[in-house]
Amino acid sequence: MMRKPMRVDDILNNDVWDVDYEPHIRVDATKCRECDEKPCLLLCPAQCYTLVGNEVLFSYEGCLECGTCRLICPHDAVHWDYPVSGRGIHFRFS
Amino acid sequence: MKEVGYKFDVIVVGAGPAGSAAAYTLAKKGFKVLLVERGRMPGTKNVFGGRVYADPLRDVFDGFDDSAPIHRWVTKERISMVSGEAMTSFEFHTRKKTSFTTYLTELSCWMAKRVEEAGGTVLTEITVDELVVENGRVTGIRVGDEKVSSEVVIDAEGINRLLLERAGLVPKLELRHAGLGVKEVIKLSKKEIEDLFGLEEGEGLAWLMMGEVTGGLPGGAFLYTNRDSVSLGLVVMLGEAVKGVREHISRYVEALRLHPLLERYFRNGRIMEYSAHLVPEYTWPSLPHRLYADGLLVAGDAAGLLLNLGYNFRGVDYAAYSGYLAAKAVEKAHEMGGMTSENLSVYERLLEESFIMKQLRKFRNASKMRENGRLYSTYPEVLNSVMDQLFHSPYEVPKIMEAFKRARKGRIGWLDLIRDLLGMVRSI
Repeated sequence: MMRKPMRVDDILNNDVWDVDYEPHIRVDATKCRECDEKPCLLLCPAQCYTLVGNEVLFSYEGCLECGTCRLICPHDAVHWDYPVSGRGIHFRFS
Repeated sequence: MKEVGYKFDVIVVGAGPAGSAAAYTLAKKGFKVLLVERGRMPGTKNVFGGRVYADPLRDVFDGFDDSAPIHRWVTKERISMVSGEAMTSFEFHTRKKTSFTTYLTELSCWMAKRVEEAGGTVLTEITVDELVVENGRVTGIRVGDEKVSSEVVIDAEGINRLLLERAGLVPKLELRHAGLGVKEVIKLSKKEIEDLFGLEEGEGLAWLMMGEVTGGLPGGAFLYTNRDSVSLGLVVMLGEAVKGVREHISRYVEALRLHPLLERYFRNGRIMEYSAHLVPEYTWPSLPHRLYADGLLVAGDAAGLLLNLGYNFRGVDYAAYSGYLAAKAVEKAHEMGGMTSENLSVYERLLEESFIMKQLRKFRNASKMRENGRLYSTYPEVLNSVMDQLFHSPYEVPKIMEAFKRARKGRIGWLDLIRDLLGMVRSI
């Protein structure tokens, strides 16, 4: 196995999703622009939140549905739902 | 909202350990039970560290020993304090079979199958949108534009408990009441696991690590041996992680996998799965919120019922047993004439009388102790420095107390040391 740290994208390649057509998480980008802390960038285990320029870019596709972002967001910018019927992450060995 | 014609006695939300235990117990008693699960199969949204205590599950499920998906019985416990490139470990080896490793996905599927065998209805791929509350009473669930009615709903939706929050029954979970667990499941052969960890067939290892393995974040790292894989990961206290995290959290797990003293175990492995989940971290003694209302009971992670001792975790068995007690409460309320809040309040009494609340109360200060930063840096360093002096002094070996004094110097004062020791003795 890799003797150096793997990128989270490569680690996530081992997981299985049935991606929903609609995002189950909505992020209020206007609040993100005014946020100094942005703990989501480092603490979302799937790195669904990335910084592009000054904008927080959010993608729901690789979400592991842990709920961390909803709790840590200092500005309550994350609206979190369970994905609809059978969609989202599909853990097999966890 | 259309009303589905068929009415159930009980609807259970979430086919994890708590939900399935509740549904199974009630179906066995002849109640008309519907168990709904949002995943494609039971367990596909569940994550745990890696070990389950068997006896509470035996109490709940008949025939547990005949068919439960047990990977390995944990006969070896190892606790390590890590600093730099050194670790001091404490190991306990026995042949007793008290707790076992498995995949929670597999175990949840097994439990849900028992529910079906007992006569319950299990529906997967159903995401509940909300609890239906009418005149202050929970009367069923809403799925899309359909309502399914029941006498009582047992909410076992998991730690994020969105339904309870939406119904205005609980506030949003606080940061300091949650831990974040992140893990990699790494594939190895059966033989490799047995050779690497000194185990015989069917024997397993539970390995807890403290110190630099969490990159300075309060929390701990774990390794559990499954049948032909290991679960490697860490749990950090979310309130502390928000303040102290310095790089992406996956890097912390990778640093653990690549630690110079650990990397050798995974060299021939490959990652099978990467998962993350929140863990309840309540500061007891009081319940985080009321676990009953008119037509409603709350069990498992949604109720925050998990015991974290720092050196051991009890989550799955606590969840299952709380589901079992919720079922007992429904039975009692049924005998008393209905699912009123007053009748269902017997659930809290059952919890209080069970090992669950007794244990949570006894260890109520354990989480406070775990916030002590010295546990993750100073003590592993002191301990490893002592061991280093005792075993790596080529000519003149110090006396143990002498080595300890040297190790302690500049790291921790006597007062703090005594205070921490007393705190530890009192809390765990």
